[in-house]
Amino acid sequence: MPAKCTNLIDRRDFLRAAGVTFLSALAPQAFADTLAADAVFATAYQRRDGSYGAAIISEAGKVLHAVDLPDRGHDITFDPISGRSVVFARQPGTFFVAFRHKGDTPPVTVESIAGRHFFGHGIFSPDGRLLYTTENDFDNAAGMVGVYDATNGFSRVGEFPTHGVGPHELLLLGDGRTIAIANGGIETHPDFGRAKLNLPTMKPSFVLVDRFTGDLIEKHELPPELHQLSIRHMDTDEKGAVWFGCQHEGPATERPALVGRAVRGKEMQLIDMEPKVLSGFRNYIGSVAANRDAGTVAVTSPQGNAYAVIEAASGKVIAVESLTEVCGAAPDRAGFIVSTGTGVVVEPDGRSSRDETYVWDNHMLRIG
Amino acid sequence: MLSRILACLATFNLAIVALPAQASKATDIVNGAIGGFVRPGYHAFLGATTGLSEAGKKLCAEPSTANLDAMRGAFGKTVGTWSRVEVIRFGPVTEQNRLERVLYWPDRKSTGLKQVQAAIAEKDMTATDAAQLAGKSVAMQGLGALEFVLFGTGSDQLANGDAYRCSYGAAIAGNLQAIAGEIDAAWADPDGFAKTWSTPSAENPLFRDGKEAVTELMDVFVTGTELVRDVRLGGFLGAGAKDDRPKQALFWRSEQTVPALGGNMAGMRDLLEASKLAAALPADQAFLGGSTIFEFSNAANALSSLQGPVADILADPEKRAKLAYFGLVTSSLSDIFGTQMSGALGLTSGFSSLDGD
Repeated sequence: MPAKCTNLIDRRDFLRAAGVTFLSALAPQAFADTLAADAVFATAYQRRDGSYGAAIISEAGKVLHAVDLPDRGHDITFDPISGRSVVFARQPGTFFVAFRHKGDTPPVTVESIAGRHFFGHGIFSPDGRLLYTTENDFDNAAGMVGVYDATNGFSRVGEFPTHGVGPHELLLLGDGRTIAIANGGIETHPDFGRAKLNLPTMKPSFVLVDRFTGDLIEKHELPPELHQLSIRHMDTDEKGAVWFGCQHEGPATERPALVGRAVRGKEMQLIDMEPKVLSGFRNYIGSVAANRDAGTVAVTSPQGNAYAVIEAASGKVIAVESLTEVCGAAPDRAGFIVSTGTGVVVEPDGRSSRDETYVWDNHMLRIG
Repeated sequence: MLSRILACLATFNLAIVALPAQASKATDIVNGAIGGFVRPGYHAFLGATTGLSEAGKKLCAEPSTANLDAMRGAFGKTVGTWSRVEVIRFGPVTEQNRLERVLYWPDRKSTGLKQVQAAIAEKDMTATDAAQLAGKSVAMQGLGALEFVLFGTGSDQLANGDAYRCSYGAAIAGNLQAIAGEIDAAWADPDGFAKTWSTPSAENPLFRDGKEAVTELMDVFVTGTELVRDVRLGGFLGAGAKDDRPKQALFWRSEQTVPALGGNMAGMRDLLEASKLAAALPADQAFLGGSTIFEFSNAANALSSLQGPVADILADPEKRAKLAYFGLVTSSLSDIFGTQMSGALGLTSGFSSLDGD
């Protein structure tokens, strides 16, 4: 029962057995030079031999630093003050790992508390002292935000509800205090793996919560006919609007809008796209990334093997590209760098590289 | 930029693709799947639910032990036909919540059980009409609800005449027959989903090329083996015997847990055969077809001696070990389909495109 081991049952043994190793693909001086000079990105990966980890990679897709993980990772968050990255287990995983790619401090692995698992996303407070992560209180089918003290070994110091089921990505807004949370609406329970338990009745929502008090500030739901449109990934544009990407759990023959924009104090808006563009996404947006300098937002679809760039101000799609299993995206120069589940990284100028050892997981984060 | 990416990918794909976007080959495979498995599978489900509905009417008109046994037997036949074809989790069955209306499971909070018990306690007459029942909660109109009606506490009274319970059960049977009829008709429609799936093209709203059409088929095996292992078996078989949860097993009341697992695997085996997907493998990977046949028979053999209540099976270490072995076989099949066969056919196995993240 390998899948069980990764969930809850033997997780302590599993974490212990998996161990953690370092890897530097470059000679120390070359490594230091690359880190100093170029843009660097963080992403979870799977090795072609099947094992999992997280890496810091260069713009050309070269691995500069790698950390093994006991199971599949998902998103990464970064604290520039301590220089630490945190990679979260993919749902229904029960660990996150904090690591520094500069220096030799060993990674720290933290387990979820009993009755909870992670959803793969988290954020640091602006001062780097606290870490917030979306969690599943699975026996009560309630979304929670777990709060961890990053100055004290990531001990868990609090929690507050997400006011929805199946929270996924969360974002810290520009005021440094409000957290936006995408409640995907899908109920899961680790007893049943990743099975979706409530598709006929799911009700996703987008909420704003005060991270100091845990108070709910705003909650928005889609109209009833779109109740199977799971809101999952987000980023903020240059004006502070939150762009979100959805995954439709209803019949494949339906083609609801998949991308929307939420502005504080206003109703959420879904963005119209040409039927051909929308259809190409196969009802699935895998990640959302904004380039605030360029005023653009990228949305990717690994199921549609395509991604689009949207002009934030007008909401118009300005480019659509085909790329097999594209999912990771991060702002880079005047455009985006994107990564794929086949191990390809494409830079903004179109140069692409394919890694022989790694394939890239769903998200990419620019960390320098 | 686009053309450069495509050129790069084209070179990469040509090296590994045994099943090019060639629509004709894909159409043959998909047509084989539809004609040899999907249509006859749903038709058999329609036949079984028709028998179930008739048995329900008969039991209500003439309550007797024999007629209750007949209705319970018809329930077993319905589960048998459904478990084969339920591995198809796309197309008409996904419209109007049909999948969940036929079988809402797992029902972690026992929503269905509570609703069924409430309907019986309150004698909710709107639940005794199949058409009205179809608009109610998905948890109280399908196989899970009917199982409680026919096998749950108080069900033996059906033999002596429990008018409300019987008419509610008959309504569920009628509702299942109606849903089965809709799915059967939708697949039979020459201009319906069958056409969409079997004629991939740039203009096709769901399948742009042959690879996408065949990937839909491959997903049946990848998600089907995962469903059996993680959801159906993993739902009740713990890491150790002390972690077992027999009452969390699907169909434990009717002792159909193991037959349903067997039906799922038999369905996948039949679908693989009907589609002749393995024949599309390149010569040096053709052995993978044989590997699946070997593992499907291992799975069937492991289940063949497991009869009776699932709690008894779990309590017997030898029998429990067979279930655990069955789980290993599903993992092996999952790897063969999801990694080896997908790779050999040049289908992206979807490392980053798996659902829900």
